[in-house]
Amino acid sequence: MNAVDATNRPEQPDEAEPASLLTIILDTNPRAWAMIADSLPLSKTIANLLVFINAHLAINHANKVAVLASHSERAEWLYPTATTTPDREADDNPNGAQNGDLQMQDRDSAGSGGPVLLPIDDANKYRPFAHVEHTLLRNLTNLLSTTTPNAISSSPATMIASALTKALSYISKQSAALPAATQSTQFNYSDPTSVAGGNDLSNPSANKSSSTSQPLTSRILILSVSGDLATQYIPIMNTIFASQRLSIPIDILKLAGDTVFLQQAADATNGIYMALDTPTAHAGFLQYLMFAYLPDASARAHLITPGEGAGVDFRAACFCHRRIVDVGYVCSVCLSIFCEPLPDGTCLTCGSHLSVGNYGLRPVVVARKKKKKRKEGRVGEESRGSTPAVG
Amino acid sequence: MSSTASQRALDYLEQLPGTTFTKLYQQPSTALAIFRRMLPHLAKNLVMAMLYMPAPFPIADLDAWIKPDSENAQAKDRALSILQRLRILEESDGRSYKLADAFARSLRLALTGGGNHRSFGVPCSTPDAKAMTVGWLDTFARQQWEAILYYVVGSVANATLGGEVQEISEGTKQLLQKGEFVTVKGSGARAATAITEKGFSFLLQEVNAQIWTLLIVYLEVSGELQMDPVDVLSFLFTLGSLELGISYSTSNLTPTQQQMLEDLADFGLIYRRATDTSRYYPTRLATTLTSDAPALPNSSLTATTTTQLNNNAANSTFDLAAQSEKGYIIVETNYRLYAYTNSPLLISILSLFTQLQTRYPNLITAKITKRSIQTAITSGITSQQIIEYLTAHAHPILRRQAPILPPTVVDQIRLWQIEGERMTAWRGYLIRDVGSQEDYEKAVQYAEALGVLRKEFRSKGWFFVSRMDQMSGYFKNLAARRREAMAAQAAASQSGRSSAAPP
Repeated sequence: MNAVDATNRPEQPDEAEPASLLTIILDTNPRAWAMIADSLPLSKTIANLLVFINAHLAINHANKVAVLASHSERAEWLYPTATTTPDREADDNPNGAQNGDLQMQDRDSAGSGGPVLLPIDDANKYRPFAHVEHTLLRNLTNLLSTTTPNAISSSPATMIASALTKALSYISKQSAALPAATQSTQFNYSDPTSVAGGNDLSNPSANKSSSTSQPLTSRILILSVSGDLATQYIPIMNTIFASQRLSIPIDILKLAGDTVFLQQAADATNGIYMALDTPTAHAGFLQYLMFAYLPDASARAHLITPGEGAGVDFRAACFCHRRIVDVGYVCSVCLSIFCEPLPDGTCLTCGSHLSVGNYGLRPVVVARKKKKKRKEGRVGEESRGSTPAVG
Repeated sequence: MSSTASQRALDYLEQLPGTTFTKLYQQPSTALAIFRRMLPHLAKNLVMAMLYMPAPFPIADLDAWIKPDSENAQAKDRALSILQRLRILEESDGRSYKLADAFARSLRLALTGGGNHRSFGVPCSTPDAKAMTVGWLDTFARQQWEAILYYVVGSVANATLGGEVQEISEGTKQLLQKGEFVTVKGSGARAATAITEKGFSFLLQEVNAQIWTLLIVYLEVSGELQMDPVDVLSFLFTLGSLELGISYSTSNLTPTQQQMLEDLADFGLIYRRATDTSRYYPTRLATTLTSDAPALPNSSLTATTTTQLNNNAANSTFDLAAQSEKGYIIVETNYRLYAYTNSPLLISILSLFTQLQTRYPNLITAKITKRSIQTAITSGITSQQIIEYLTAHAHPILRRQAPILPPTVVDQIRLWQIEGERMTAWRGYLIRDVGSQEDYEKAVQYAEALGVLRKEFRSKGWFFVSRMDQMSGYFKNLAARRREAMAAQAAASQSGRSSAAPP
């Protein structure tokens, strides 16, 4: 009888993949689109993007999508529609009015709150696809028609930072809204790493390794056409680190322009960075999307992702003039970067007085002395023990 | 969660002839549903990557795309194997893969919209004078489905449990008998139904798997009734893509599909008024056919609703159902079980493998004992099914902890089963006389990579596989290659001999 062992629990291949939320940030800077209108007009991009979105939705019933436009002066939701937009009555959703929160009208919530009849009732199109397409196109048309020539001429850049912030807040809201039930039904007995009590937050490594604790895998895809985002350096970097922390990959598909920071974003978050600058590459836009950007986190575990290994430009922009610098001055208190010596020796960010001896000299890289490894390791352990990790 | 359900449908689809697939894939809704429901995740990404590829995808490129360790290679082989079994992927001239034309065309149509296939259901152009609410449809679906389950379980249920359950139609009863979920003993007025082993396992499946199990029996029977299985299947897949709460027109359905509507209404998959046959409403049972979403909003069937439908209390019961969605069973480490329910169906299901103790208005207590589990096991329920059922219907309090069920209880249930069984039976093929040791190793490795290897008898040079189609392809390729090599060798030796021949 001793030979019988019921605790040997055969591992069953878990076919059910976690739902994934794809947030697409579409750079709609009119000026930049005008530059590449010959090889890839915006209309064609949208058409291809819609096929890509449909493919994403087709992969899993629970997959979700959100699309943001990063316009020249503001970032705007294209899908799902925020209920505060003029063409939707505020009393449509009383909750939204009460807590002053933006309510997003996704197709799921539309299903539970009663069917929403679309103006297009086409038997040749899967309804969820039609719904996304219709909403997206309507919102985009709204956005483009309300853009004044004045606004375009006043701001040549695009609001990527604002769009990224919106995307991240939407993702965290969606992850929080997911019922805990789905989280626990996916629990796998044979997983020895799981701890009783389900206190996932205390163990970030387990959090990453098992899909059970993260029921909604999210990623962000940025379709970038404009260059020069140095003016938004700080907010962009903050969003990058936020998504790194949440392990949300930021994929970049660059159609034009030169964006140093977006490449860093992809690098820091394990996203995919590809540059499609040439007209021939533009022609294969959809194939690029379907091949490289469609696989979600669980599929990427099996695949070799493209665009790896390319040299990443790690330059930063200074905090004082937003110039991109190779070598600069760093505040020793808050690590702000400055391109030139500060006039009064006071950091512009934290206000610390910086008294530097040989002020104004070019910084020199000094080789660090090697410490003994064993000692270092012990110190590291101690400090880890005493400093509580931020969950 | 629902892998059993899709597995069941997959097994059925696989044994269809190739021409049926071609016909099936003509419908974009079918292509989309099969894509979404039947394929493993990696396969979906492969299909999407190849969908807009102008030329066939070289095998070498595919291998380069997948990470090269053995685990990923296995995942790839599994994905390719399923794709080929479903006739989605074709190997062209041995060096590259391409998607089956019909499938690729339909899937592209599904993604882009357009065409004139009307396979995503034609919504009624005129609004219904008395439109059905989603809540009402849910209640209707639950009522119909529970009636079927109750009929199956009815033979073992204690009659004193009470509760009025509506009668199910004669056709459904026959279907349940055909599927061997119940057997009828005796005849005439004294006929009594008895649940079978298959019936037990049917009961303990989750709803989505239950529907597929029943529908597959339906598909098998439909062939005998001169119904075209392609028509039936594509209608089922269409149903899966419809939207809940919208009425659809019956005008574009084929006669076979018109005929199906009646049966499907009996199952609770669709709702159709007797007076108005030109429109039908899909219920949640139907719209979740091809998705992972729970088929009934209250997946635990905690329904006290079977009799309330007529009271038109649909809305309130819907709210109630939504509240108790999370499950109702608490299992303690001391093998006691508490279930918050008063539904006769649930109580009779629990009585299959527990020893009921007390009943209160909204709660029953029971105990899991060796005897109760082994009774269940002798009647054909497996320990796995019991554990899955308990897990799926665990109360939110249990869900807060991980593992959900107390491990002692889970292990003990398994042990009780193992006590009685020392053998596992697999249907499959024994391969022997493979040739040299090296050939044998290669063949075994290939079978293992495909995931079909069950057991090898290394000393005898035999091995046992669960599926043969791809293995036979492998051996054919091997034989062909060997014959070529032999021919080449023979030619070479021939020419060698002739040149070396003395003058």
